[in-house]
Amino acid sequence: MTTRAEFLGRVRAEMAKTDGLFPAAPSPRPGNPREAAETVRRQLAERWPQALDRFRVEFERVAGVFHRVPSLVELPALLARVAAEKGAREVVGWEARAMGWNLSAALTPYGLTVHPAPAGDGDEDRRRHREDAARAPLGVTGVDWALAETGTLILASGPGRPRSTSLLPDTHVAVFGPAHLVESLEQVGLLLEALHADGGEAIRGGMINFITGPSRTADIELTLTRGVHGPKEVHAVFVDALDGPA
Amino acid sequence: MKSDVKASIMITCLGDLFFPEVGVAMVTVLRRLGVAVDFPGGQTCCGMPLYNSGYHDEAARVAERTVRLFEAAEHVVVPSGSCAWMVKTEYPGLLMNDPALKAAAESLAARTRELSQFIVEVLGVTRVESDFSGSVTYHDSCHLLRGLGESRAPRTLLRNIAGVELVELPGADECCGFGGSFSVRLPEVSTAILDKKLGNVEGTGAGCLAACDAGCLMQMGGGLSRRASRVRPLHLAQILAGGRP
Amino acid sequence: MSELLRTPFPERAGAALKDAFLQQALTIATTKFIDMRRAAFEGFPQGDALRDRARGIKEATLQRLDHYLGQLADNVERLGGHVHWAGGAEEAREIVLRLCRDRGVKMAVKSKSMATEEIDLNEALEAAGVTPIETDLGEYIIQLAHEKPSHIIAPAIHKTKGQVAELFSRALDGDFAADPEVLTAVARKVLRQKFLQADMGITGANFAVADTGTLVLVTNEGNGRMVTSLPRIHVAVMGMEKVIPSMTDLMVFLAILARSATGQKLSSYTTLVRGPRRLGELEGPEELHLILMDNGRVRQVAGPLREALYCLRCGACLNVCPVYRQIGGHAYGYTYPGPIGILLTAMLKGDRSVKELAHASSLCGACKDVCPVRIDIPRMLVELREGLDRGRIAPWSERMVFRAARRGMQSPALFRLGARLGRVLQRPFLRAGRLRRLPLFFGKWTATRDLPPVAARTFSERWRELEKP
Repeated sequence: MTTRAEFLGRVRAEMAKTDGLFPAAPSPRPGNPREAAETVRRQLAERWPQALDRFRVEFERVAGVFHRVPSLVELPALLARVAAEKGAREVVGWEARAMGWNLSAALTPYGLTVHPAPAGDGDEDRRRHREDAARAPLGVTGVDWALAETGTLILASGPGRPRSTSLLPDTHVAVFGPAHLVESLEQVGLLLEALHADGGEAIRGGMINFITGPSRTADIELTLTRGVHGPKEVHAVFVDALDGPA
Repeated sequence: MKSDVKASIMITCLGDLFFPEVGVAMVTVLRRLGVAVDFPGGQTCCGMPLYNSGYHDEAARVAERTVRLFEAAEHVVVPSGSCAWMVKTEYPGLLMNDPALKAAAESLAARTRELSQFIVEVLGVTRVESDFSGSVTYHDSCHLLRGLGESRAPRTLLRNIAGVELVELPGADECCGFGGSFSVRLPEVSTAILDKKLGNVEGTGAGCLAACDAGCLMQMGGGLSRRASRVRPLHLAQILAGGRP
Repeated sequence: MSELLRTPFPERAGAALKDAFLQQALTIATTKFIDMRRAAFEGFPQGDALRDRARGIKEATLQRLDHYLGQLADNVERLGGHVHWAGGAEEAREIVLRLCRDRGVKMAVKSKSMATEEIDLNEALEAAGVTPIETDLGEYIIQLAHEKPSHIIAPAIHKTKGQVAELFSRALDGDFAADPEVLTAVARKVLRQKFLQADMGITGANFAVADTGTLVLVTNEGNGRMVTSLPRIHVAVMGMEKVIPSMTDLMVFLAILARSATGQKLSSYTTLVRGPRRLGELEGPEELHLILMDNGRVRQVAGPLREALYCLRCGACLNVCPVYRQIGGHAYGYTYPGPIGILLTAMLKGDRSVKELAHASSLCGACKDVCPVRIDIPRMLVELREGLDRGRIAPWSERMVFRAARRGMQSPALFRLGARLGRVLQRPFLRAGRLRRLPLFFGKWTATRDLPPVAARTFSERWRELEKP
C-alpha cells in the first residue's frame, strides 16, 4: 500500500522536473477574514431589500416557490396552507433552537403532526427521525444563508438540524429573514473563509448544502423531470421580522 | 486608388495546385486597391499537414525554408486562414531552438495576414467595389475564426458589395470536417460532418457559399459537386474580384 | 468494453454513424447543451475573467501540489476522516474492497463518479460479493443495461425512453410507460430503499479544498446528498488533481462549472462534506474515507499532458466536438470520451492506447474555445501525434508518405514535378472537369466527395503573365 510519504515523494520528484506552464497564483485570500466578513454583513444589513428582490427572481427562475410574511405571527397560517395544498398531515422540521422559532407550537394547532429533530443523537433517535422524514410530505428548515445571485439556500447540518429534513420529504420549505441574505458567491466564499478561520468549529455539522431549486435530472432523452431523489418542490418563506442566524 | 503598400502573395500548396483562379482573383483585387503585388518564386507549402500529423522536425525544416523565402517581403498575404495561422502562431515555436531563425519567424508572423484581415487592417478598406451579385452564405473556417479570432472582416467585405445579399449560415462556426489528413484517415466521420454542414448551407437558399480557406473549399466544394448542388463554392477573393468567377 | 476495442476505431465510428437513433439523440442533446452553455455565458460578463482565474488557480495548485495535498490530508484527518493514497487502479480498488471486508459491507450506493468508472470499481465489488447500486439516474440506467457511460455528464444520452422503460420493466418486474416522469418516479421509489438500506456510500469529488479539508460534490438529483448522509460509511475516490487551495478558490470554480456543463448558474446541489458525522449530529456517516488516486496523473505534472490535469470534467468539449457529435461516447472505447477523453486515456493508459484516437479530431479548436479552464486540447493532440511518430507507433507506410511529402515541400523542383505527374495520372479519371473516382488511398476521398483536378496551369506557372499589372 502506498504511504503518504511515497505518494508525495513521487509528486515532488515530478515537480522538480518542471517550472510549470506559466506564472500563476491562487486567489488572494482575505488577510483578516472575520473582519472582512463583519464588513460584508454590515453592508448586507443595509442592502437586504435589493438582495431579496434579486433572490426572489433567481429562486423562481429555478422553479422555487416564494412566499413572504411580515412576522412569525403570520408564519404558521402560511405553513399550514402549504401543508394543506400538499395534502400533508405530517411535517418534519428542525429543532426550535436551530430555527429561532418553534415548529410544533406553530403547526400543532392546525391539526398537523409535527416531528421536530430529536434532541439526542443515538441510533434509536436516528432511526425514528429517518422514518418520519421519509414518511412526511413536508420538511421545514431554517437556512444559514440565502444567496441572491443564484437563488440558493445554504444549509449547514448540525445538532437539531438533521440532513434528512431538507432531503427526504417531497416538499422542502425553508424559512429565512433579512439577516440571512447574501448577495454573491464571492461573499459566500468570504463568509466561509471566516467561519473556517478558527478551524471551522463554528459550524457544528459535517455537511453544508447549497440548494438551488428542486432535485432534477434530464438523463432520459434530455427531458427535464423534478424530484429524482431529493424534494420535488422547494419553497422559501421570507419573514421580514425574523432575527438573525441562530 | 494609389497606395505605397507592397504585398507578397503566399499562394499555399492547395491554392497553387488546385485553385490558381483564387490567386488570380487575389492579384486582381489587391491591384484594384492600389497594392503592388509580387510573388516570391519557389513556394511549396507552409508545412501544416506535416505539423498536424506530428512530424515536427519535418515541419520545422519546411518552416525554415518559408521564412527565408519571405525574408524581404513587406507584407505577406495568404488566401487561407489555416496557412496564415500556421505561419503566425506555430512557426516561432517550431524554430525556437535557433534564436536567429526564431526571430526571423517572429518577424514573418507579424508581417503575415489572411486576405480579408489584410484588406481591412492594413489597407483600412471595408468596401471593395465588385460587380458580383447574388445571395451568399459564409462559412467560418476553424483556423481563421478560432485560430486568428477573425469573423467580422470577411462578412463586412461581403456585406458591403452592392449586389450581394449576405445570408447568415446556421452553424457557420462549426467545422466542415476537412481537418487535413483527417478527411482521409476517417473519411466516413469527415463526410458525416460535411453532410451536416451542407444541409445547413442548402437550407439557407443562398446561391453561393463563400469561405477563406482552400481546405474547406475542397471539402465543401467536393460535397456540393457530388450531390450536384446548385450552390457554388467560391473563395472570398473571387467574389471581391467579381467579373463572373 | 474490451471486446469493443478489438474492432478498429474507424469501424466503431462507422457503426455509430449508421445508428439512426444515436445520431438523432446526439444532435438533440449536444445542441441543447451548446445552446444552454452559450446562454449562460452570454448573460455572465465576468465569465471570461473567471475562466482565466480558474486556469491560473489550477496551474498554481500544480506548482505547489505536494503542499496542497499534504494540507488536504491533514485537514481531512483533523475532521475525523481517513486518507488513503492509491498509486494505481488496482490499489484504489483494493482499498475499497478491504474497507468492505473489514466493515461487513454488503451493499454500496454510488453517486456518479468517473473516477470509479475509470478503475472499474463496480466489477471488483461484484466479484467480491458486494452489490454496487448506481443511483444517478443515467448511471442507474446504464448499470441495468450493462453498458458504460457515453457522455461525461449525461451517461445515458444514447438511450431512448422506450429503451429505458423496457430496461426498468424487465429489471424491476413491472410494466412502465415510456414517459420520463413515470420512469423518474420509479427510480426515485426503488433507489430510495437502497439509500436507506446501504452500508456504504461511494462518491467521487469535484473538488477538495486543502485549506479546510472539505470535499465538494456538484449534483442535480440529490443522490450525492443521500449517499453521503444515510449509509454509515462514506468513501470518496478522487483523482489527486482535484485539490484546490481555498474556499475563495472554490467559488471561482462553482461560478463556471455548472454554466459550462449544463448552462445552470449552479447545479441543484453543491454539497460540502466536512468529515464524518460530528458529535451531537444526528445523521451522517460514522466514517469518511478519502482515497487520493494517482493512476497516471502524477507523471503528467512534468509531462506533455500537464494541462489536462486542469480538467473539471464538465463535458463542454464533448458537446461542441464535431467528431463526438457524430459518433457519441461509446465509439471512443474508453472511460472518458470526446476531446479531453483522448488526452485522459493517454494519461491513464499510455500513448499507445490512443494510436488511433489521437487522429480522431479535425483540430477545429471548438473544444479549447469552450473549456472553462482553457485547456489547449488541439495542441496536446498534435503533440501526442508527434510522440506516436517519434515512438514509431504510426504505421510504416504512413511515415513514408509524410517523409515523401516533406521532400516535396522542401524542393520546388520536386513540387513542380509532383504537379506535372498529378496532371498526367489524373487524366483517365477526369469526368466533366472533376475527379469522381480515384484508386487506392485517394479513393478514401472520392468515395463520398469529388476532387478538383490539379490545375492545367498552377498559379506559379501563371505568374509570369500576371506579373505585369
